[in-house]
Amino acid sequence: MGPENPNRPNYPLRPAATPFASQQSSTPFSSSGPAVGSEAPVFRPGPPAASNFQAPPFAGGPLVGTEIPAFRPPPSIRPGEVVRPPPPPSYGPPTSGFQRFPNPPMSSAGQVPPPHISLTGQPVIAPPTRPPPGPASPFSHPQPPLVSMGSPPQSIKTGQPNPNIPPPADQRFSTPIPRPSSQPSSPPTGTSYPAGRGTYPGYANMQPNSVSQAPPMPPASFQMQQGGYGPPMQSSFPLQRGYAPQAPPTSLLAQQRGYAPVPPVSTSSGLYSGNQFQQHGIAPAHQGLAEDFSSLSLGSVPGSYDAGLDITALPRPLDGDVEPKSYADMYPMNCDSRFLRLTTSGIPNSQSLASRWHLSIGAVVCPLAETPPGEEVPIVNFATTGIIRCRRCRTYVNPYVAFTDNGRKWRCNICSLLNDVPSDYFAHVDASGRRVDLDQRPELIKGSVEFIAPAEYMVRPPMPPLYFFLIDVSISAVKSGMLEVMSQTIKSCLDSLPGSTRTQIGFITYDSTIHFYNMKSSLAQPQMMVVSDLDDIFVPLPDDLLVNLSESRSVVEAFLDSLPSMFQENMNVEAAFGPALRAAFLVMSQLGGKLLIFQNSLPSLGAGLLKLRGDDIRVYGTDKEHTLRLPEDPFYKQMAADFTKYQIAVNVYAFSDKYTDIATLGTLAKYTGGQVYYYPNFLASIHKEKLKHELTRDLTRETAWEAVMRIRCGKGVRFTSYHGNFMLRSTDLLALPAVDCDKAYAAQLSLEETLLTTQTVYFQVALLYTSSSGERRIRVHTAAAPVVTDLGEMYRLADTGAIISLFSRLAIEKTLSSKLEEARNSVQHRIVKALREYRNLYAVQHRLSGRMIYPESLKFLPLYGLALCKSLPLRGGYSDVQLDERSAAAYTMMALPVKSLLKLLYPNLVRVDECLVKNEEFDTKKRLPLTVESLDTRGLYIFDDGFRFVIWFGKALSPDITKNLVGEDFATDFSKVSLSQRDNPMSRKIMEILNQCRKSDPSYFQLCHLVRQGDQPREGFFLLTSLVEDQIGGANGYADWMVLLFRQVQQNA
Amino acid sequence: MNEVLAWLLFFFILIALLVMIVFQLMCLADLEFDYINPYDSASRINKVVLPEFITQGVLCFLFLVTGHWFMSLLCVPYLYYNVKLYNQRQHLVDVTEIFNLLNWEKKERLFKLGYIILLLFMCLFWMIYNALEDDGHSI
Repeated sequence: MGPENPNRPNYPLRPAATPFASQQSSTPFSSSGPAVGSEAPVFRPGPPAASNFQAPPFAGGPLVGTEIPAFRPPPSIRPGEVVRPPPPPSYGPPTSGFQRFPNPPMSSAGQVPPPHISLTGQPVIAPPTRPPPGPASPFSHPQPPLVSMGSPPQSIKTGQPNPNIPPPADQRFSTPIPRPSSQPSSPPTGTSYPAGRGTYPGYANMQPNSVSQAPPMPPASFQMQQGGYGPPMQSSFPLQRGYAPQAPPTSLLAQQRGYAPVPPVSTSSGLYSGNQFQQHGIAPAHQGLAEDFSSLSLGSVPGSYDAGLDITALPRPLDGDVEPKSYADMYPMNCDSRFLRLTTSGIPNSQSLASRWHLSIGAVVCPLAETPPGEEVPIVNFATTGIIRCRRCRTYVNPYVAFTDNGRKWRCNICSLLNDVPSDYFAHVDASGRRVDLDQRPELIKGSVEFIAPAEYMVRPPMPPLYFFLIDVSISAVKSGMLEVMSQTIKSCLDSLPGSTRTQIGFITYDSTIHFYNMKSSLAQPQMMVVSDLDDIFVPLPDDLLVNLSESRSVVEAFLDSLPSMFQENMNVEAAFGPALRAAFLVMSQLGGKLLIFQNSLPSLGAGLLKLRGDDIRVYGTDKEHTLRLPEDPFYKQMAADFTKYQIAVNVYAFSDKYTDIATLGTLAKYTGGQVYYYPNFLASIHKEKLKHELTRDLTRETAWEAVMRIRCGKGVRFTSYHGNFMLRSTDLLALPAVDCDKAYAAQLSLEETLLTTQTVYFQVALLYTSSSGERRIRVHTAAAPVVTDLGEMYRLADTGAIISLFSRLAIEKTLSSKLEEARNSVQHRIVKALREYRNLYAVQHRLSGRMIYPESLKFLPLYGLALCKSLPLRGGYSDVQLDERSAAAYTMMALPVKSLLKLLYPNLVRVDECLVKNEEFDTKKRLPLTVESLDTRGLYIFDDGFRFVIWFGKALSPDITKNLVGEDFATDFSKVSLSQRDNPMSRKIMEILNQCRKSDPSYFQLCHLVRQGDQPREGFFLLTSLVEDQIGGANGYADWMVLLFRQVQQNA
Repeated sequence: MNEVLAWLLFFFILIALLVMIVFQLMCLADLEFDYINPYDSASRINKVVLPEFITQGVLCFLFLVTGHWFMSLLCVPYLYYNVKLYNQRQHLVDVTEIFNLLNWEKKERLFKLGYIILLLFMCLFWMIYNALEDDGHSI
């Protein structure tokens, strides 16, 4: 696969291919025949019906002829094929057969279709082998997959069109499966098909449609296929996918756009053939053939059942987030995708092209993402030379700079300026233009490096890690047990706070007054000072409110020990939050740091007091709806701005059982690069573990202090807007008082010039920060992306995860200025526009009626879009989600890295009862579609969205299991039962499974909620509303959503 | 003669408005080119927002009192817009969102600028017209 990939990147190659494409374009399907030339005819004659099938390969062979010897082998196969064909009925089956054929050839030709393969998995193996067995096997292989997918089943079910087909189909079916693995040829198809395989189950459903379509298609498609298939298809495949190697280079070129090689195929139609076939039966899988796009048959096809689409065939991200691999392979020196993901790796070369891309061009950056052991970002110290940067654009030296003039100069990859190489950094350049000292220079071979910044990168000495706690001690905080859990947790973290001996710490508590604590190291007990003048806050002591942890350790511990008991009898219900915030600001403003706020009730005294503006149902649906989600009092925005200015990051922990106006409090976190943790109805007995885990993580994870981040990019493009939790300090500089691995930022870019002349656009993310150890560092991530001239290529290089991440941020921002309904519609419109544009790319060459087409890279986009519309911040209306929960979820999602976001939108649902009973290894890979149909009443399921677990007990689940897990009182109300380890293997096993799940996602603690089937409203609240594929309230189910999108795509198409 | 003096007064008030708006625009431009940080920029702008609104209101009122109802009418849309902003508490620049709103803030002030310049020319015209008329009478 590796070799192939390289091909892709080579856009230049395309031209060659294009010729084909052009031909193709002119001659859609029919043309294919001609292209094939004499050969094609041959085919047909040879094997009547069967021959057709076989023929295609041959035909292809001829066409490709000179080009690809490999193909020919297939001819030998023909005999065998013929046999299969028996069902000359031809069209339906034949077509399918053809398609497959093409694929096989491709595989053989194109060694490996890496990208596709990856999807399905099977294909990969096959490719290598193909060549040898190729001839004979290829046919069979290809055929089976295709046929099975589409027509065969259909025919069977419907029975109408092709009586003959059924048998063949079956054969093929069976055959294909085995083959793929064994034979190489299959792989190619496999790649594309992967989806198809998955779909098999769905065939039946699909069939009707497919069948109906098939009849008309046969003749035309046949020819086309043949023409295309044989060689062309193959070639095209390689190209698109990267198989190209085998296929003639030219084909590669063609593929990109349209698969040039095969006249018909080559043009956009490359897919076509595939598509057509696909139409027949396979809903989702099509891509395999054509590659260019995937499609779904929808019921609207004339003659087909109205039922329309096969639910089981819809694409689902059951493997989690799949990053586009092809891109990473193209630019091996790019930083890892965990740091930077582009919504599409193909940057459009003109504004007109960009305007046809409706999915936003942008990037999602997670500068401090956690790296697995062994892949740590290398640290580079340029002590002697100073950090090497471009004189003009200030780009940091990176693997893409070119050294010229015998190593004395280097050319900046972003602005093309020729810079001098400092003499200390000089190294000779060998004949190929590489520096001889390359292996000792990580900054020249790695996309991510960290530079140690000298003094000119500091405006003041590096600050120590500083944690300041602002704690509500009013009656609700004491009663809920929050105070106690929090004190214990902080105490247990004192040893692991980053920064060792430099760490500073301080506390303020407040109710209707504000309490300061003198923690001077010479004291045995902390001294408490109470300030009750809320209008004119002053700090009673100049020093010692903020102390060095290691020096005052005993005082701090004494304080934390006594804190819960100190306020045990406190009956105060007021919260002077605003004044307390000011006090904290006064104490911290010298150094900056992290401010953790523990807030239990609505601020009720002094500045910044908030009204119970509540969740007025009358406001929903009016133009004022969004004001509920906006901060009410400008005091908080102003405070947030001041906090950022003084390098203070705010994390808000909110615990109230009543309305606390998270929308307003959250702005503190939003503009300071912080985060909102919300524990509605906090009760120590239930939420203790959650608070403990999340507070611990907040306190101990590696944090970058007083940071600023800038994303540079090449000439002609510019980042225009940024989305996430931060404040802009200048047009392109993000101020981040504290950053950690759980924060990601999104940015949109636009083209400044009408035409980009460069081949590649480079991006460089630079994060300047102070590490906990007190070093000033610059973390630099560099990535390159190709400039493309064609919309299809942009779609091919699209990254659903990044797009959804950007969409969710845009949609959430939209809820702050308009109704929820409009925010949801905007998501839907963007998806529809994108799919419509995509459809227009192929509508001319293909018969697309009744099919919804989408690029393979975006096959999950509609589903994630649907999930996004059903996510907490956007869901329903007044009654569906509490306002506070909505706001808290919105703030959280604004900061979430791509992977966590995708998991939140499409959570994992796994069945565990069998695993418990048999005590097998738990396999997290067996995810189920998120629909009620996945839930078997005899089963036990775990639902995991990264923030909580819901354990669902089926009605008919063996009482043994329930008893083992929750004890004797299993018949009681589950809301009062918590899952804890019991002394039996089953309980141990499930705890082990849960811990395993938690370990894979440590950012948040997943609290377990036990739910019994039919136990309303609990079941509905915890689980049913989260099954995004089902119809919930007024929202669409997945199938309806697809039909809706399809209709909208067709309108004004 | 009084007329001329009145127009002279309007003229200076308009110049004052002009200066305040140009100042705000300069702050925004400086911010855009990174010569100034958002905190300073926002606080400078916010300092002159209310004076601007008040001056404009006074101007409108004076036009009315002195019987120049047409000029007063011309000022009303501007005044209405200002009052609306004030009532929505959106008259001040939001420092946290200033970059996202930069274009809008600039556009708004450019419109105001054009408006004021228009008024200024009309004011000049009337002033000169009155002055010439006075001359005519004196002769």
